[in-house]
Amino acid sequence: MTADDSELRELRASVREFMAAKSPEEAVRKLMDSEPRFDPAVWAQAADQLRLPGLAIPEEYGGDGFGPVELGVVLEEMGRALLCAPFFATVVLAAQALLASGDSAACARHLPGIAAGRTTAALAVAEDSGSWDPALVSTRAVPDGDGDGGWKLRGRKSFVIDGTTADLILVVARTVAGPALFAVDREATGLAAEPMETLDATRAMARLTFDAVPATLVGADGAGGRIMAKVLDIASVGLAAEQAGGARRCLEASAEHARVRHQFGRPIGSFQAVKHKCADMLVQVELAEAASREAARLAAEGAAEFPVAAAVAHACCSRAYMFAAMENIQVHGGIGFTWEHPAHLYFRRAKSSQLLFGGPAVYHERLLDRLGI
Amino acid sequence: MDQDMQDFAAEVRRFLDAHVARAPDRTARPWGEGDDSMAYFSSLPPEKEQEFVRRAREWQRIRHENGFGWITGPVEYGGRGLTAVHDLLYDAIEAEYDVADTGVLSVIGLGMIGPTILAHAQPQVRERWLPAMYRGDAIACQLFSEPGAGSDLASVATRAVREGDDWVLNGQKVWTSVAQHSQIGLALTRTNPDAPKHRGITAFLVPMDAPGVEVRPLRQMTGGADFNEVFLTDVRIPDDHRLGEVDGGWTVALTTLMNERATVGSEGAGPVAAALSPDHLSALMRATWTWDDRALRARLAELLVDAMATEHLNARALRKLRAGTAPGPEMSVSKLMYGQNLTCAAHFVSDVLGPRIIADTGKWGTYAWTELLLATPALRILGGTEEIMKNILAERVLGLPKEVRS
Ligand SMILES: Cc1cc2nc3c(=O)[nH]c(=O)nc-3n(C[C@H](O)[C@H](O)[C@H](O)COP(=O)(O)OP(=O)(O)OC[C@H]3O[C@@H](n4cnc5c(N)ncnc54)[C@H](O)[C@@H]3O)c2cc1C
Repeated sequence: MTADDSELRELRASVREFMAAKSPEEAVRKLMDSEPRFDPAVWAQAADQLRLPGLAIPEEYGGDGFGPVELGVVLEEMGRALLCAPFFATVVLAAQALLASGDSAACARHLPGIAAGRTTAALAVAEDSGSWDPALVSTRAVPDGDGDGGWKLRGRKSFVIDGTTADLILVVARTVAGPALFAVDREATGLAAEPMETLDATRAMARLTFDAVPATLVGADGAGGRIMAKVLDIASVGLAAEQAGGARRCLEASAEHARVRHQFGRPIGSFQAVKHKCADMLVQVELAEAASREAARLAAEGAAEFPVAAAVAHACCSRAYMFAAMENIQVHGGIGFTWEHPAHLYFRRAKSSQLLFGGPAVYHERLLDRLGI
Repeated sequence: MDQDMQDFAAEVRRFLDAHVARAPDRTARPWGEGDDSMAYFSSLPPEKEQEFVRRAREWQRIRHENGFGWITGPVEYGGRGLTAVHDLLYDAIEAEYDVADTGVLSVIGLGMIGPTILAHAQPQVRERWLPAMYRGDAIACQLFSEPGAGSDLASVATRAVREGDDWVLNGQKVWTSVAQHSQIGLALTRTNPDAPKHRGITAFLVPMDAPGVEVRPLRQMTGGADFNEVFLTDVRIPDDHRLGEVDGGWTVALTTLMNERATVGSEGAGPVAAALSPDHLSALMRATWTWDDRALRARLAELLVDAMATEHLNARALRKLRAGTAPGPEMSVSKLMYGQNLTCAAHFVSDVLGPRIIADTGKWGTYAWTELLLATPALRILGGTEEIMKNILAERVLGLPKEVRS
């Protein structure tokens, strides 16, 4: 299903209104110091009132069947508001991994709960190096020997977004056939989760230890590489939308401040060094929005150019957000460097997002790879 | 695409198929084959230049005879009365064919001056010049810049003084592209030295063969001479060649400048397209054994990210136009990025080539890149410098306070 322009505008307006009410700066600050790092009541409202978790999940699995374009609008708004919620982990990473696995039984088991907002989920790929390359995974999976098709996982995962709170954990682990995807229940015996201290306080991350943890194979044995390639493309675009939203907010904050703050008897925005800084931010933000929205559109169309566009969106939005977040502090001067001002929250989110999937060196090579270079 | 557009596209293809061959895709051409030219500006010897202009006029005439000379223009002046979307569609299809380069007519004359004449000239002047321009007979130039008025365009000093039914113009214009081929020029002149500078300007259409108009070529850093100085000495212009009100020329200038921003940066095809093509650039890296140089690969990726994001921006502007919404700041951003992307590409390529770009070994695809390299500084200046474009973005789009100006 695809929304037309006016439906997209309506969606944006209602999500923005929801964010203004439920994720103002005070709420973000309170949540980033609490455990869990989200408000279950707000999460339930996002599901019941706006049906956000199920927006881009197919109707056969209890969702509303919209696609990456609509999801992008929601993520832009969440990125603007620095929403603390398990949305990215559950809906973008885990749900997309289930869909990419092509395992309809696993989808039927888990997606309805996700769509309804009852189940939160996480995707555990990276280990201590932080790399999302499934070929580098050392966590192992072995058949549990009971003859019931069960597996046992052993190893350690890091940087698992919302890993301490997720009800369902999808894990990439190595079998004799290569990397594969497994589902693990939060209550499973042998699973330990501890929160990690994070650069971006608004995005919770965990370290998970698996000591012979019972797990179910999702998709084919050895298909983990293929599944993750798909997931990373679509997750890059989701992240890009969040980044574009955050960058736009930084630009707006700078422009607002440059209009009202006076020095030397005139608004600082009339000084060309400041004016051009803001214009440079605008250029980056316009490019970022174009790159992430076009990539989402190509994904929705199933276009052959999508993987290239996804890599472009990730690189372009990562750079734009980091640039906007840095210059935003500069335009705000001393205020921007204080703990009280929200500018640093965007700076932290921008840097953390830029490096989440490996950082510039990795995504440059991903782009060249997608182009066959 | 809806039915109307599909019919139009089919008609365009029938026309082009009947008159020209399909072009080889320049961005996908095999390395080492064909022409390796990377010229943005021409640097042809005079006879070749004349031939180039003749071919441009000829192709414009054929377009016009077949109803594609002025797709958005009013029917009464030989236009087709269709939308900007039809125009863009035509351009996109024509780019697949091997047609003569008509930039000498279209970039300034048809793209900027034509719409200004349509909006501001008196009926007999529109009748006299518009069909001639869109038929390829009259080339037009933009007589705006002066030695003392570049970014600060409202400082023009060329004087126009009324004498009976005529005006007499005296002054000097500079950097005037294609003036050497032009039949008319749109000039900004000062008619009221006492009024605030924006309010004392009047615009005139100047026949370039009028007595007292002298065009002197200026050699550019590329070696060619695409732009000129134009001296106006007691040039008599009838009052009916005035555009807009007396002292109201700034409004006329704004029409031209708005169209200028839409024109520059939208040149998709042409030899320089290869400079941003992944296939072409990776072939260059293979040919120079720099294929696995990690630093160069990272720069290549950065360059392609910007080039592709700019394409996405253009695609979005086009989609907005199709949906009937006015595009936002996309065009200005796109113009800025166009200059920057080509600049990055030229420097990337020169670092890949190393010493091979500093002297001509005769090898295909090496020294030819100097043509692009030497053109890039102009792209940051012409049609409004980067600094001026940034002022416009900050003030008009972000609402920042105006610069302090005298
Ligand atoms: C290839 C080419 C073709 C051209 N063709 C035409 C043509 O056909 N017709 C025509 O009329 N003109 C033409 N121009 C002229 C062009 O529009 C001007 O060169 C341009 O507007 C800059 O003016 P200037 O050269 O006088 O530089 P200046 O205005 O003197 O600027 C010099 C430097 O100062 C900076 N600067 C000036 N004012 C400000 C400010 N307020 N804030 C910050 N920085 C500022 C500029 O950005 C620039 O970097 C052409 C130029 C080139 C290079």
